[in-house]
Amino acid sequence: MERTRKKKIAKRGALLFAFNSSKYNYADMAVYTARRIEAFLGIPTTLVTDVDSLKTILPDLKTFDKIIDIVPDKSNIKEQTAWINKGRYQAYELSPYEETLLIDVDYLVNSDTLLKTFDLSDTFCCHSNTHMLMHPEASQEKMSAYSYDTLWATVIMFKKSERAKQIFETLEMVQNNYEHYANLHSFVGGVYRNDYGLTIALKIVNGHTDVPSDYIPWNLVHVGKNTSVYADSSDIQIPCDGSLFDFNTEFTIMFDHWKKSKVRKEYMSIKDMDFHVMNKDLFVGIMNG
Amino acid sequence: MDTKTLIKDAKARFSHNSAKAYLKEKYSSKLVIAEQGGLWRADAQTIGFLNSFSDETLVVIDTFDNPVKVNRIELLESLTKTYTKIMTEWNSEWKELERKR
Repeated sequence: MERTRKKKIAKRGALLFAFNSSKYNYADMAVYTARRIEAFLGIPTTLVTDVDSLKTILPDLKTFDKIIDIVPDKSNIKEQTAWINKGRYQAYELSPYEETLLIDVDYLVNSDTLLKTFDLSDTFCCHSNTHMLMHPEASQEKMSAYSYDTLWATVIMFKKSERAKQIFETLEMVQNNYEHYANLHSFVGGVYRNDYGLTIALKIVNGHTDVPSDYIPWNLVHVGKNTSVYADSSDIQIPCDGSLFDFNTEFTIMFDHWKKSKVRKEYMSIKDMDFHVMNKDLFVGIMNG
Repeated sequence: MDTKTLIKDAKARFSHNSAKAYLKEKYSSKLVIAEQGGLWRADAQTIGFLNSFSDETLVVIDTFDNPVKVNRIELLESLTKTYTKIMTEWNSEWKELERKR
């Protein structure tokens, strides 16, 4: 048992998908996230990207263990620009690791907590519940009033297995028939969301029941609407080795509390906790110090 | 602009409720451990339950609702150790937070 585990640990890694849009340099975000993954989780990262995005991070290519260049599906249009988030189902085939953490590039790794996910399941797990910083009473998102609570594709752990393969194959099927599932579950189709795709795919694979071990037993922490996040200090590049960083782990969260048409600012400080930044401008702000 | 100046300029108020909720989120995830083929939460209920038996082995329902046969003493030791460490850290950060009142 022990020998098997040691063998598996050597094959662990993270997988990031990043395709630049006209507004954001996702590849740049991937470089930053991969450095944090290396610093806090101590595992290598593989980047899945396209040639155009790759050209924007040429000096940082050594950050990655491996780079996989694919032709992206640009058919998903959000706010009149291409939002390249389709094709996440390829993660299973593309991952060079036995045990993979598939992470969104706007997820700020700030602790070693995610390493625990490798112990949670032999096949697959993701977040089923969220916590909104500064808005703890926020309800869980549902795909629609008549459908399931949304599962989150922000952080997924999977191990090479028949079951994980089946989940990703089903995700592909759901993506290809997204409008049908939008009708079936009464949510607005049009713009493809991986969270919805994953929710539907996992429910199908599980025969529309819940498998507790598919869910990470703590919440996905979001910095959501009306909320800003600022780094309390800058990340420091360790001079003796350009590839090492001493990352800031403390952040200030600020919230606009609206009451009777007046806004009151509230804040709190957090440290050593991972979080997902929904507003990409804020993530870029943290990245750039 | 540093965050202290930002808070001062915005006349922002420290939100104790949100900070308390954040601490609960942060430390709850740290209380979860995988051991002896099951997933456990090092909380007062589980520790109290394990303590109430004298058997060497015991079948206990884990976080994923699986009945897992465990070495009671070893699991108890492990959960107690995790509980003590994490709760001490939680208490220390909570005290820091209370000072902001």
